[in-house]
Amino acid sequence: MTSMTNRVAPRKGKPLDVWRWVGRIFLVLMLLYTAVPMIWMLLTSIKSGFAAMQFPPQWWPNEPTLASYQRLLDPTNSVGQDFLRFFWNSLFVSTATTILAVIVAVPAAYAFSRFEFPGRNFLFFAVLLRNMFPAVIFLVPLFILMRLLGLVNTHGSLILTYLTFGLPLAIWLLKGFYDNIPYQLEQAARIDGATRFKAFMLIVMPLSAPGIIATAIYSFIGAWNEYIFAYTFLNRNDKLTLPVGIQRFFSENTTDFPGLMAASFMMSLPVVVLFLLLQRYFVRALTEGAVKH
Amino acid sequence: MTRIPLAGTVLRGAVSTALIASLMSVSARAAPPVDVSKWSSEYVRSIAGTKDFDTAADCAKVTPLDYKGRLTFWYQGVFEGDPDLLRQYYKDFFATFRKTYPNIQLEEQALTYNDLLDKFRTALLGNAGPMVVRLQILGGVEFASKGYLQELKPEDVGYSTEDFWPGAMKSDTWKSKTYGIPTNNETMAFIWNADVFKRAGLDPEKAPATWDDVVKYSKQIHDKLGISGYGLVARKNAGNTPYRFLPQLWGYGGGVFDEATQHPTYGQIELNSAASKQALQASYDMYVRDKSVPVSALTNQQADNQPLFLAGQLGMMISHPSDYDVMQDLKKKATGSDLLKAQTAIDNMRYGLIPTGPDGKRAVVFGGSNIHILKPEYVDGGKVDQAAAKALICFWTGPEWSLKMAYAGSNPGNLNGFKTKWMKERLETTKFLDVSTSMLPYGVPFPAIPETPEIMNIVVPDMLQNALTGTMTVNQAAEDAAKKVKSIMTGGSL
Repeated sequence: MTSMTNRVAPRKGKPLDVWRWVGRIFLVLMLLYTAVPMIWMLLTSIKSGFAAMQFPPQWWPNEPTLASYQRLLDPTNSVGQDFLRFFWNSLFVSTATTILAVIVAVPAAYAFSRFEFPGRNFLFFAVLLRNMFPAVIFLVPLFILMRLLGLVNTHGSLILTYLTFGLPLAIWLLKGFYDNIPYQLEQAARIDGATRFKAFMLIVMPLSAPGIIATAIYSFIGAWNEYIFAYTFLNRNDKLTLPVGIQRFFSENTTDFPGLMAASFMMSLPVVVLFLLLQRYFVRALTEGAVKH
Repeated sequence: MTRIPLAGTVLRGAVSTALIASLMSVSARAAPPVDVSKWSSEYVRSIAGTKDFDTAADCAKVTPLDYKGRLTFWYQGVFEGDPDLLRQYYKDFFATFRKTYPNIQLEEQALTYNDLLDKFRTALLGNAGPMVVRLQILGGVEFASKGYLQELKPEDVGYSTEDFWPGAMKSDTWKSKTYGIPTNNETMAFIWNADVFKRAGLDPEKAPATWDDVVKYSKQIHDKLGISGYGLVARKNAGNTPYRFLPQLWGYGGGVFDEATQHPTYGQIELNSAASKQALQASYDMYVRDKSVPVSALTNQQADNQPLFLAGQLGMMISHPSDYDVMQDLKKKATGSDLLKAQTAIDNMRYGLIPTGPDGKRAVVFGGSNIHILKPEYVDGGKVDQAAAKALICFWTGPEWSLKMAYAGSNPGNLNGFKTKWMKERLETTKFLDVSTSMLPYGVPFPAIPETPEIMNIVVPDMLQNALTGTMTVNQAAEDAAKKVKSIMTGGSL
């Protein structure tokens, strides 16, 4: 009994408590650091243009309004038409990039993980080489290439470019994942009569699902937020993607802050929803793929 | 002062002299449609609404209305933040053009103010430019000198060179040849908040007369009310910065070259002259000594000053007449207590002439945009539909649309636009318009040389930033800037 009482007694003045509180305060500060801009974005989006320019700022709007959202979502006005078209274009480009990235990265990573072939290591690092340079140095050469291929003003130019930039990391991420799946599992399936492809589909694929999902999220977010290539390769209003379209809230002498914030909020929604739904896979993939057993 | 090598000086001098001589000889040939020598707000009022124009009939003489063709066109567009009225006029323009020329397939692309030049430069590197482009006034000479543009003068689309401001035509001229037509021209004005002035103990109805007064007023406003006095802008690579600093530079008698003189030669660098240093010192005094301007001025552009001004946190700034329209739009969309506040902000807006320097010199940047046709080899597809291009340019640069497309923030490039009924309507509805049009004769065009964008967007802001951050003294910053200009002018880089 005595020993039990001792165990539940409060640990007064122990340094562990201090650190625990320091940790909690740090976490709260980090939470505020990440959440306050989002909250401010949301609050600004429900203000009128004049209220958004007030100083000191109206923390909570005197006259909240959903006018900016109505304008963006109303296909009968030009702002709404443009915004919805840009949203759809972004969704199409990001989804297509994601699907293609997974289709290419999965077999490529599997090959790097499982097969021995001449120049394997060299090729693997060659794949990563592109990521060692800033993307912007490829801008003009890629633009000229796209023009020669007749792809300027097409979504194909963006999908190809995003794949070029997204695939190396996707392959690297997935290879780490496949390396962690014991080869004996595949061997067992092969002994039971499965072909390599069947063993891959039935054994490896389900086990690597978190890695594939992480790759998909990574590719989607990369394509969804990309600005500089979309801005350079697309010259037609009906082809623009959201990051480029959002620039339109900045004019020469003024900025439509509520419209900008409403558009930004709506732009962040698909990524937030996707991440919330799949975050456990994402975290698992990042941790599991990073450690070689 | 820094001298540029003799050969360059002689060449530029010869070019400028020839240009001025040609402009003068043209002026002597025929009486201009609008007498700019009589320019005053009364004169502008007296000619407004005195003439009707038929755009379709005028342009049919250039390109038949049944012409079948295709045209690609890039321009600085109007977007969500711009006044509703202006957005409507842009929409109407393209609708009317399509209706008038139903067989021309027009593919227009609106780009934002900050994006247009960079995107255009990249497209040119890939030979994927549009057939026609409308650029800010700084761009024409740069791209003409690099050989991207075709020769184009007002006469090619049915108008006369005298229909446009001589200063605006200068911005389209390179080595005595014309490469574009002005679409709109504007000069800014000085705006202040009467209530802030009153509370700071200043006369609420009187703008500061000189730049020294601006420094003094800015300090007084800051010391009495704890808010920013003057809306200094010193952001790098933003057109807003030279548009606001150069009036001050010229007012004090300085300049980048001799661009503020009647017959500029651009032969001598003046950024390190005593007068230029005095202008830079005024900015230093406001930012460093008095701390009477927004602390964020080094990264601010005009769009950052506007909210401060409208919220009563900034006393004075240089801006477009469009600020009044923007304010009216904001008021329309406000409700409840915000509506009242917006009305108060409008009631307190005052417009006046840009202050003078110590010697009474008043100057402002002669701004605007020009429209150009590209050479086929730089166009996507390698072809330019000349007739379609001229139809669009005739439409935009005519008296009617050059006025309507500049309704809220600028003025018609075609001087005949001042005679239209829409100008009369503007004068009746846009408060303070007569103030900003009164500034037009004080307009000084940026130097008509290809190096101007680099000088204005990088060297001038750099000079300000070096002085205001304390990286250099005022003297050193001015000398450093002069050295950079010299390097650029002799073919070097920054």
